Amino acid sequence: MNNRLRVLRAERAWSQQDLAERLEVSRQSVNAIETGRYDPSLPLAFKIADLFGLAIEEIFLNPAKETDQ
Amino acid sequence: MQLKTPAARRYLKRFVPTMIGYVVTVMTTSLAVAWFQPTGAALIALSILPAIAIIAMLAVIGLYVREETDEYLRQRIITAMLFGIGVVLAVSAVLGFLQIYHAIGQIDVFWAFPIWCASWGAAQCLMTWRDRVGADA
Repeated sequence: MNNRLRVLRAERAWSQQDLAERLEVSRQSVNAIETGRYDPSLPLAFKIADLFGLAIEEIFLNPAKETDQ
Repeated sequence: MQLKTPAARRYLKRFVPTMIGYVVTVMTTSLAVAWFQPTGAALIALSILPAIAIIAMLAVIGLYVREETDEYLRQRIITAMLFGIGVVLAVSAVLGFLQIYHAIGQIDVFWAFPIWCASWGAAQCLMTWRDRVGADA
């Protein structure tokens, strides 16, 4: 699933490791989510959204809406 | 397997003594069978000893999967295990038919576990490499 995680992370000058520590997951998890190779569970998606102070849909792009465009 | 998570560290603490137990039971059984040449129930009991250590290893792996809280790492290890199971089943199917039609002789079933472990390890290495390629600082 496409997402804005890399951009949001870059805006805060966080490395993948920094973000991983804040989310209490591995750096590999952050990398996999950023590159779209892994879709996080709903609890982890909420955790990410809370960390950035955004709604889930402001971070993760709805695949159905992406294909409509 | 990433050993940075608490679950992975617990896995290692459990795995090492289990592996040592396996090596000790294999050596003990081999020596006992060679020296005492047991038969019947004694031979069966001795032969099963090393298998118990392998079953314990499977339990240790199962505990890790249950305890790992990093969902991506958990998914990755399960994917690698499934790949290993696929390789074991594929090899079993090919060898099975070769044996049915007498193209080859007897092959020990014992090799299923090492083949699973090797295939699982290869899949893990491939996924670790893929993660490193996509990583940044």
